Amino acid sequence: MKYLFLIIALLLGVLSVGTYLSFPGIKSDVPVIYWMTDRNAARDMQVEGFHQWLVDNGHVTDQGKPVVELRLDITNDDVAKKIIQAVSGIGSDVMDTGGSHLQLLQTMGVLEDITELAKEQGFDPSQTYKAMLPEITIEGRQFVFPRNIYVMMLWVNKDLFKQYGISPPPSRWTWDEFEAIGKAFVAKANVGRKPGQRVFFVDFLHLTQMPQSMGLSVFNETLTGCDLGDARFARCLERVRQWTYEDHLLPTADDMNAFNAVEGYGGAATQLFHGGNFAMIQSDLSVLTQLRKFEPMNLDVVELPNGGYPTAIMGARSASIYAGSKHKKLAALFLKYLTSERYNMQLVREADALPPDPRYTQTELFKRPPDYPNEWGVHEKFHEVAMTIANGYARSPFVLSSVVQRETSWFSSLYDNGEIAAMEAAMKIAQAVDRRIADNIARDPKRKVEFDRRIAIQKQIDTYMAAGRKLPAAWILNPFYLRYYTQQGMIEATP
Amino acid sequence: MNKCERKKILTGLAFLTPNILGVLLFTIFPVVFSLFMAFSNWDLKQHNRFLTDHIQYVGLDNIRELFTDGRFLRFFGNTLFFMMGIPFAVAGSLLAAIMLSKDTRGGGGRPYRWLLASVGLVVSCSLLAVGGMRSTGMTVLMVGLVSSILIAGVTGGKSVYRTLFYTPNFVSGVATFILWKKLFNTQNGPINNALQPVLDHVASGVNALPSPMVSYLMWLGFVLILLLFYMGTGYLRRMLVDGELGRIAALLPLIALCLPIWVACRWSLSSPHAWLLLVGAVVCLGLQMMHYYKAEDHYTARAGDGFGSALILCLLVMVGEFVLLGLSQVAWHLPAMAADGLESPRWLTDVNWAKPSLMAMGLWGALGSNNMLLYLAALTNVPGELYEAADIDGATSLQRFWHITWPQLAATTFFIFVMSTIGGLQGGFEMARVMTSGGPAGATTTLSYYIYQEGFETGRLGFASAVAWALFALVFSVTLFNWKFGNRYAND
Repeated sequence: MKYLFLIIALLLGVLSVGTYLSFPGIKSDVPVIYWMTDRNAARDMQVEGFHQWLVDNGHVTDQGKPVVELRLDITNDDVAKKIIQAVSGIGSDVMDTGGSHLQLLQTMGVLEDITELAKEQGFDPSQTYKAMLPEITIEGRQFVFPRNIYVMMLWVNKDLFKQYGISPPPSRWTWDEFEAIGKAFVAKANVGRKPGQRVFFVDFLHLTQMPQSMGLSVFNETLTGCDLGDARFARCLERVRQWTYEDHLLPTADDMNAFNAVEGYGGAATQLFHGGNFAMIQSDLSVLTQLRKFEPMNLDVVELPNGGYPTAIMGARSASIYAGSKHKKLAALFLKYLTSERYNMQLVREADALPPDPRYTQTELFKRPPDYPNEWGVHEKFHEVAMTIANGYARSPFVLSSVVQRETSWFSSLYDNGEIAAMEAAMKIAQAVDRRIADNIARDPKRKVEFDRRIAIQKQIDTYMAAGRKLPAAWILNPFYLRYYTQQGMIEATP
Repeated sequence: MNKCERKKILTGLAFLTPNILGVLLFTIFPVVFSLFMAFSNWDLKQHNRFLTDHIQYVGLDNIRELFTDGRFLRFFGNTLFFMMGIPFAVAGSLLAAIMLSKDTRGGGGRPYRWLLASVGLVVSCSLLAVGGMRSTGMTVLMVGLVSSILIAGVTGGKSVYRTLFYTPNFVSGVATFILWKKLFNTQNGPINNALQPVLDHVASGVNALPSPMVSYLMWLGFVLILLLFYMGTGYLRRMLVDGELGRIAALLPLIALCLPIWVACRWSLSSPHAWLLLVGAVVCLGLQMMHYYKAEDHYTARAGDGFGSALILCLLVMVGEFVLLGLSQVAWHLPAMAADGLESPRWLTDVNWAKPSLMAMGLWGALGSNNMLLYLAALTNVPGELYEAADIDGATSLQRFWHITWPQLAATTFFIFVMSTIGGLQGGFEMARVMTSGGPAGATTTLSYYIYQEGFETGRLGFASAVAWALFALVFSVTLFNWKFGNRYAND
């Protein structure tokens, strides 16, 4: 028996060595870096494009091969896996880091501060949209560069409006107009339909954009407290509930589950939109990667309805360099590649998103893709909105966005279930977020100095606003309020 | 010890070493390490290899936070709610085991029955397809399926049913959850498709009747609650008189019996009429006290005697009282609710329905679980001569069960209760993550899901460890309780 065990042990040893020798890095002549990203057919082309770009730009070995080999890691693009791997020192060299993940990973210190490197190599914030600044920098330091940029708008199925004899919505519209057109649409579209077969006006509306369109942000001016305990946010909650449960302009979660649609990238909404279940869907350009597989539709895009102040949500899927990477300089080449014509034009061709460099939106290929005439006139509207009314998400350094989302979802669910009133829900969200901020400060006294400094500024802001005085721009750390107050003439003129 | 013996021991140890090392490294060390973490402020946002801050000992701060934050207690409440299904699950698996121990095989004509079953299924599926997956088609499918199963049982005997009942246990959890998500679908799920016509009939029936006639069913519910309360307190009184229950041990069971009355007084829906319940309960207590003092022979027991049996019974009565309280309130509000028609519940998105829905799903899984197998095995070990003796004495089926089967299964029941309690406290993670993401409004977040959220979504490893150890303390206490007061042996 012991010989049998010995043989098994030896066999396992040999297999282990064999496995190790089969690692991609062992076989490569050049350093291998990994890119932790999502499962998407376009990634292979982007990797190939990167290797070609290296050759074209002279980043080659003596043998003329690329100086680095980029490989995909598509099995770990999950926040829990990212955290565990990153803090354990085995994160991928390049990591997709968008939205709230950026904040969490940056707080953990696992992202390389690329401010100087980016300036030196030419992938600093000036290379992309101005409104992207809060999405790629934290406290003035750069940690990521956008791979692609999304702006949320409403895609319109013009044929469906025509079919029911309703005029398509205008490019810019208010909530009241949205409600009026929506009610007229669902009234005509749902004649003779049973509840499970309803046609809806739009798939969902953003609870971040809605308060912004009334001049309200999630956080206050210094990002030290939550501003959602406001009657304006309560009105947003009321409107969404009314549109969902009373007017049936938006589907409930159950309505969405009831559709037997195959889910693709971004969920089932695209198929349902194409199938005529939604007159409009809220999304970015990436919808086209799905829609191009179907019969061409007569498309248009319009802004999200506003509560008086037109605005749009803008974000990015970004790439960052892992602080524990052994090949940071080589990983930086990938970020540099994201500013290249090769990469940007590839995005333009795929119509997956706005390219990080806005200059490429001025090309004919972007505006009028030759194979898709039904999309002409649509693409530049995204660029226009990105340049004019779009805002990134407001994030506080004192609380994680995921925590804010959880609290918002918690109390808005209670409101939707009729357990509490809208204003109560709004107040409770603000109180819960403020409590989380207080807890975080108590647990991490290092941040208290900065927090107290900002609180002092916030008091001054409140005093100035109560007195109707203009505010110094330097006091406003929330990018949304800075832009909003500037447009409203509430900021002191710079001497 | 001679050389040969030493060699044998060394060889044995060599074989055991990899396993021992594995357990030490991957089980014992993490467990001990997490105990230290529970008393630290380890937060991945502040302490990891890329940051310079040091992890600090924070004493009982994390434990204190558990009880001041409110979320822990809420999620603990959710976990306990799901655990309320355990007695039903155990009873269900026992019932299933008893049924499955009987042979259901019929006489001849097997091929004919198989053919009939197949035709039934094919016709049902065709009608379903033609019916467009709506209620008619679904009803036909259900009828066809049930008929097929019955016929298969008659033909194939108990093995068919045993296989069918055990199926949930070897289907992947996530697949089951997705299936149930479809079943619970408000718009086109089979449950609501079957329920909605019933509710429509109920609504039209209620609307046709004078509204007080329905509303006054609430009083019937109140009477039944008081009856249960009287029976429960009567049971405690008899145990006290007979010296089977200590006075201190009677306190908690009595509180359990009174809890639904207290909740009725606090609950906004029932509070306007709850004073009647309160008065009734006081009268019941007064009557029991009177009987207690009038009893001639009082036997004394030690303070803690009989606690387990009394508590279990009172908890069961308490659940019954709660159910009746809920039903009585439904009756009171039914005419108003039915005026505009009754709608089937939004099972997973309604904050009040999400928990019971998941509990029902858990019950389904538990019926055919390993518990059923354990009961099946235990049933075969019950000595046949006991049943023969009972038959000679002229015992009914119920008496046979109550006086022979149930006591003989005591050890198995004890084991199942302990394991189910441990599993119930630790479980719920997959279910919460796949079915509801812990929502709506945290209604289905269990402690295990909370540990995941705190540990891996917000990076608070110290606090998450504290929650895990609090959970361990709970599991350990409940197991100790079961051990001390549970009925571990047959003939106890």
